[in-house]
Amino acid sequence: MSDTGPEMVEPEALAAEHALGVLTAPERAAAELRMASDASFAQAVDAWRVRLGPLASEVADVAPSDKVWPRIERALPVNDNNPQLARRLAFWRGATVGAMGLAAASLMVAVYLGSRPPVVIPAPATAAPPMLNASLNTEGGQALFVASYDPQRQALIITSLVPPGTDPLHVHQLWLIPPEDGVPRSLGMVEPGTAKTMPLDASLSQMAHEGSQLAVSVEPMGGSPEPGPSGPVAAIGALGEI
Amino acid sequence: MTQIAAGDRDALRQLYQATSSKLFGVCLRILSDKDESEDVLQEVYVTIWRRADRFDASRASVMTWISTIARNRAIDRLRARGPLARAEQIDEMEIADGAPSATALLESAERVGALQQCLSELDERTEKAIRTAFFEGVTYEALAQRLDTPLGTVKSWIRRGLMKLKGCLEP
Repeated sequence: MSDTGPEMVEPEALAAEHALGVLTAPERAAAELRMASDASFAQAVDAWRVRLGPLASEVADVAPSDKVWPRIERALPVNDNNPQLARRLAFWRGATVGAMGLAAASLMVAVYLGSRPPVVIPAPATAAPPMLNASLNTEGGQALFVASYDPQRQALIITSLVPPGTDPLHVHQLWLIPPEDGVPRSLGMVEPGTAKTMPLDASLSQMAHEGSQLAVSVEPMGGSPEPGPSGPVAAIGALGEI
Repeated sequence: MTQIAAGDRDALRQLYQATSSKLFGVCLRILSDKDESEDVLQEVYVTIWRRADRFDASRASVMTWISTIARNRAIDRLRARGPLARAEQIDEMEIADGAPSATALLESAERVGALQQCLSELDERTEKAIRTAFFEGVTYEALAQRLDTPLGTVKSWIRRGLMKLKGCLEP
């Protein structure tokens, strides 16, 4: 009839109570100070926050008024747009692909692609120029996209191995970077877990040759607001005959 | 989160669009006051902006991390009203639990399910005390008054309940 058993001992009990939020104002302040100087206590509080945190998902959503976002924007300190590649790549590894593994990603793509009609490529005429292929890999060597360029049709076929729904807040934008000038040209967006055929116009197809690079960057919805990539480069690879 | 840490305002705006209704709900549940909750919500996203570099995806989900910031800010604000704030139940501001929402997707359903299961294995009164403490951010003292139970007893329920919860979540 009652929850018996041992009570928690300090400092675990204090850590749990602080995470739950039952302490008074001076007790809370003392607990915060202790977290700053006592790493094991801070870890215990964090562990309790992680244990209890999912409960917040039960609270009903209530939309705040439209006035709040402009107020937040005005209150932001000015430290905008200071890209740091290491951080950005860490973001990609941590938040997007992580330990899910390519096997799972490939399997999902295989299942997905198996359910749609095959991409029909017309039979090449005699002495057709060879197809060019590229595997777009992360810095860690993981393939996230595979691409084939068909010079006959002047079309690029790109397949995303990223599991669908991985990062609903961003889009993946494909870029062609010819070695001549090294300037990225946008080819458009690639949906996670899908294959897509992108026709290239005359000037772009001139740039799609052996040694040209294909890269995918992670961008805000709607794509990069800049002429080139604005977000982290997730994967890159060069076109070549394979 | 890394894009936010790198100073990408669009990334913060997108996070705001995806999560502000949940965090506003969390603040409103604790404060029962729309204006105060909006002030706190503003502080919360400015805090997220400043501290995004401290977010560690291997330790907590984005939703847990940001909702912890929201709860802490709202509780600090509630404490400014004194230790017995909300010792009386406020009916008109009562907000229902359990409404699934889009933001639930940002928290692993598995973790939510495991926590709910473990909470339901506690005594009914213990579960209620822990839930009230979490959702409304009240002190032990206010909770004891609310439940019309001696302070020491409420404290003991919660401490034993949390201990049991920990054992249940990590067998």
